[in-house]
Amino acid sequence: MNIVVCIKQVPDVDDIKWTKENNLDRAQMLSKINPYDEWAIDWAVSFKDKFKDVNITALSMGPNQAVDVLNYALAKGANRAILLSDKAFSGSDTLATSKILSRAIEKYLNDFNIILTGQMAQDGDTAQVPVSLAQLLNIVDAINVDEIFNIDKNSAIVSQKIENEINILELSTPCLIAVNKECVKKYQPKIEDYIKAQNTKIESYGLEDLGFDKNEVGILGSPTMVYRAYRPQNNKNPYEIKQDYTQKIIDLLLEAR
Amino acid sequence: MKKIIVYCEKIPHTDKMSDVSYELINKAYKVAQESKSMIENEDFYITAVVLSSEIDKKEIKKAYSAGADKVVLIKSDSFDIFSSYVLANCFFEYYSKNPADVIIFPATTTGRMVAPRVTTMLDTGLVADCVGLEFILRENKLRLAPTRPTFGAELMATILSKKDPQCATIRPNTFVFDLFLDKEGVFEEFSPNSYSETRFKLIRTVMDKTVEKDSFEGAKIVFAAGFGLAEGKNRVYIEKLEKLAKVFDAKVASTRKLVDFNLMPHKNQVGQTGASINADLYIAFGISGAIQHIQGMKNCKTVVAINSDNDAPIFSYADYKIQADAKKVLDDLYEHFCK
Repeated sequence: MNIVVCIKQVPDVDDIKWTKENNLDRAQMLSKINPYDEWAIDWAVSFKDKFKDVNITALSMGPNQAVDVLNYALAKGANRAILLSDKAFSGSDTLATSKILSRAIEKYLNDFNIILTGQMAQDGDTAQVPVSLAQLLNIVDAINVDEIFNIDKNSAIVSQKIENEINILELSTPCLIAVNKECVKKYQPKIEDYIKAQNTKIESYGLEDLGFDKNEVGILGSPTMVYRAYRPQNNKNPYEIKQDYTQKIIDLLLEAR
Repeated sequence: MKKIIVYCEKIPHTDKMSDVSYELINKAYKVAQESKSMIENEDFYITAVVLSSEIDKKEIKKAYSAGADKVVLIKSDSFDIFSSYVLANCFFEYYSKNPADVIIFPATTTGRMVAPRVTTMLDTGLVADCVGLEFILRENKLRLAPTRPTFGAELMATILSKKDPQCATIRPNTFVFDLFLDKEGVFEEFSPNSYSETRFKLIRTVMDKTVEKDSFEGAKIVFAAGFGLAEGKNRVYIEKLEKLAKVFDAKVASTRKLVDFNLMPHKNQVGQTGASINADLYIAFGISGAIQHIQGMKNCKTVVAINSDNDAPIFSYADYKIQADAKKVLDDLYEHFCK
């Protein structure tokens, strides 16, 4: 059984640094694996104990430094790692990113049974790539998945949360599953896992390998563009209650009731 | 003429539409009113599209009063099964015959399942979870300019689409449905081809007992607990707040930190990754005001913030500022109403 896990390296949102001009200072920020994607790796690896023939490929699009998250995936138990990196890819929005990922999967991982992704990335927070990728590959998908009960070559049984209902779904493979919850089984790689991971060469492909024209991807190939970006500010000037505040709150409460 | 389609969502297993549908129609109407004077002879036409087997007539009237010029029922029996493939294909079929300039989707789970499929089919962009919506003039044309929080809401980005249709998703409770119009519209039914989904099977549906449905819907008063009410692992002040809330038929909201520390359940969380609320009165007890939390409460009408830190960010979103120990203020209120 072949599982593809899509992962993304993201800046740590708890450690945001700003330039004097109020832009994100990416160079000063720590990068890490998107936590949702780490869960996806854990779910994939958890099925290695169950079946002997589970083959996991970690796939990531990003700058060269994204090899860090791929090495991490290998140490956690992935068998193969692919980096999609090209200057022409930078600035890709969710549609362009999905096109790059789907092209790579069609070209290099065409025998996949299941694609696992995190529900969303912590930086962009759109949750669009998994669904868009499933559409481009013309496969079924389940997003917002809390639990994967079983996967095999033919089907996947998952529980999906929709508002206040939980749907138990059976998806025929090939399919895509976007996970929204941690896997109970987690493997924290040890030093020897990292050393062993070094034996696996990370494959790297760019624009030409995937057969794209540079107008099809990156900023040029993205249908959306950032028109302006700013830090939210609100300078409401509140009325300060300095004494008898309990009485004032009571007044407001009685008024609103 | 600018055509706007609002993808409306029905409440599963009913013939009603969810509140977010009306919020979106109403917002589309307001934005249209604000923008039509930007270009001479420009006008807008708003179509509310709902996929369902049935729709209550009252819902159609309500959609007109929210601002819809037309309501379209895409009619099929297969919509209670949450196959994004079926929903997206039926909508796409309608859209191909009735194209528009703008499509707005609700950023609910079903909306998130369907919208990216539709926009990928249309090879166009999609701006997720918008908190601001406007039109701007670019090269003598009106373009949709949605604004969304990104990087954990530390940055706001206004994003334009170079292609048409221009699409956006909006979360429930982001905008308020408060402008009721006395107006009629046109109703139409559309029968799509049947799409059978053999690759996808719903085995069963269970109610999620961990989530109270719409726990803030209709709440006039909300008491919000922040980390300033925590006493280590002790819930003593949070319980006081809960008792006080009962007296006023109020709801208790929580910041993410209290949820992370298992002091409050996730269903009470308000903010970027929780609920968005629009209560008449919101009282923040010991909340510092991280932007993620602000995102969920900024539509409340009157905001009272209690925090001992004079520079707490929450104060710049408040109507009333009380610089005091939230525990002390809560004790006083508790004494007054609960003893």
